[in-house]
Amino acid sequence: MWEFWVRSLNASTIFALAALGEVVGQRAGVMNVGVEGAMLFGATIGFIVAKTTGSLLLGFFAGIAIGAVVGLLHAFFTITLHGDQVVNGMGIWILGFGLTTYIGSPYAGPLGMSRIPTISGLSPFFIVALIFTVAIWFVFFKTNWGLKIRSVGENPTVAEVSGVNVVRTRYWSVIFSGAMMGFAGAVYALDYNPVWSYNMLMGWGFIALALVFFSMWNPYILLSGAILFGALWQVSLNPESLLPHIFSRYIWRTFPFVITIIILVIMSTHWFSSRWGAAKPEALGQPYEKD
Amino acid sequence: MKLAGYTLKLEKKASFTGLEAIVISVVAILVALFLVGFIFLQAGVDPAKGYQAMFTYAFANPFGAPLTINRAVFILLSTFAFIVPIRAGLWNIGMSGQLYFGALTAFGVAYVFGARTSGANLSGAIVIPLMIVGGAIGGGLAGAIPGVLKGKFNTNEIVVTMMLNFIGYWVVAHMIKEGGPFMGSGGEGEGFKLPASIQAPIVSGVSVLTLVIALLLAVLLYVLFTRTRLGYQIRAFGLSPAAARYAGISPFQIALITFVIGGALAGLAGYHYFGTTPNLNQIPKNYGDFGDMAFYGIICGLISQGNPLAAIPLALLFGGLTSGGRYVQGKLHLSYGIDYALLGVLMITLVAFQFFFRYRVVFKKES
Repeated sequence: MWEFWVRSLNASTIFALAALGEVVGQRAGVMNVGVEGAMLFGATIGFIVAKTTGSLLLGFFAGIAIGAVVGLLHAFFTITLHGDQVVNGMGIWILGFGLTTYIGSPYAGPLGMSRIPTISGLSPFFIVALIFTVAIWFVFFKTNWGLKIRSVGENPTVAEVSGVNVVRTRYWSVIFSGAMMGFAGAVYALDYNPVWSYNMLMGWGFIALALVFFSMWNPYILLSGAILFGALWQVSLNPESLLPHIFSRYIWRTFPFVITIIILVIMSTHWFSSRWGAAKPEALGQPYEKD
Repeated sequence: MKLAGYTLKLEKKASFTGLEAIVISVVAILVALFLVGFIFLQAGVDPAKGYQAMFTYAFANPFGAPLTINRAVFILLSTFAFIVPIRAGLWNIGMSGQLYFGALTAFGVAYVFGARTSGANLSGAIVIPLMIVGGAIGGGLAGAIPGVLKGKFNTNEIVVTMMLNFIGYWVVAHMIKEGGPFMGSGGEGEGFKLPASIQAPIVSGVSVLTLVIALLLAVLLYVLFTRTRLGYQIRAFGLSPAAARYAGISPFQIALITFVIGGALAGLAGYHYFGTTPNLNQIPKNYGDFGDMAFYGIICGLISQGNPLAAIPLALLFGGLTSGGRYVQGKLHLSYGIDYALLGVLMITLVAFQFFFRYRVVFKKES
């Protein structure tokens, strides 16, 4: 049972890191539906750098850096060029999916480096994710900085009038957001499952995106959701230990995706939003144009 | 910005003409091809030679050209699956899931007629049309899920359609692998092969039946958007959901109808590729590769600005890029996935060029 839980928490680490990144961007009013693409970049570049230099640390830095570059790209297209956030996010996803397939293929296979030490099986990155969760919550709700980020996501015009530099705040939020996604990808490829394969993230980025909608943009709810999904993912991989002989192992694999849809539907019902309020950043998805 | 005595200014465009759209799209594609040239260079291949080999194989080779056309039909149908909802402002990125379900129902029809075990004496005139209808129904039902959820609860359709892609992927695995009901006799984790009697007609390697259907659908969709009440409602909803609602257009109906039509078209793409192309006539082991190829539909749909007729030459070009890409990869010893790299670079270039649909760059002489 312990093993099941540590594997779940290890998986939830990746969901949480990526989704925390997305939350920061969305709180600043910029949605990036290309989480999966940014994560694929972080995973692939991190993997290649670690493999060629023999340094895991450099691998992580590379993953974070490429994530930040992807974030910068998204920021430039959506903030400076006023592009549609959904179209750009799609672009980032397909760019990540296409380009990393080509770049990563020569490196397909296991990383072949010693594994990162664990705490009786628990990845140290889970602790990192915990720290990020608390830190981001603290920044959002207890600091002037967080107030700025939230204000440009709620009402950029008012924020600008009260002296917040909307463009700069959004830029940094989106770059940070990309760096977190790149980091999440690197954790996947260097720690969770250090084997490069085609389209290796298999939809984790999209689940992370869905988690943000579940979380009501709150880091604590988001972490709980990530842990729930980490556990679901483990159940779907090893169903026999819990519920033997019901479905084939392939049908079990659909399980986390089905649950994602179900929870997403519950969250979007009028019943739910009227009770728990709409925490959605008011200006999410809208380009900000100064007149 | 000032450049050599000229001021560079951006002006917002209210609209763009068809000619402008064509010019911007063509330039975007050329820029993407130029950028991928660097990938060729990095791999030690002269880009001009690389592209020449690619296009010659794709469009002038007796083996390559039919492959290109079969893939173009697949991409065209995937494009339609994307276009119909996007005209209403809704994102269908679930073409791959919908085409998996469509392929399963189409093969399900053949299965019901006993095609897995014997099927030597089946009547193609009966089973083939039923398989086509079956494919459309399976895809349409898969499309109905995001349609209903979007229409009823305003659930994010991007996440839902993407989740359904993975669900579809694993359901196909269940059906064709490890003793699944559609498993082929070889036991190699691929679907059963259609007997010759219900294989669709092939002329010089091209699946003509589905080609004609796809072209007819292009015209039909064009008429739908330009000449019918429903098409008008879809477009009105896409331009402004709030205004459309005032005009009495039901968001639920629009979401449901566009997603069902989109899903049905993707389902046809599934039948087309797995059910009709020569050497296949089965759901292959690597069905996921073809599911991913459907994402070209997004690019094609965006470049064509939702115009089903404009999508035809684009689908042909992209069909050629994928078939030619695979070919040069083997011939010039590139690493796997040059066609995927092209897909990614095309998409992001196109996204960057969206800018020119909204702004025009004006040079003004300093006075």
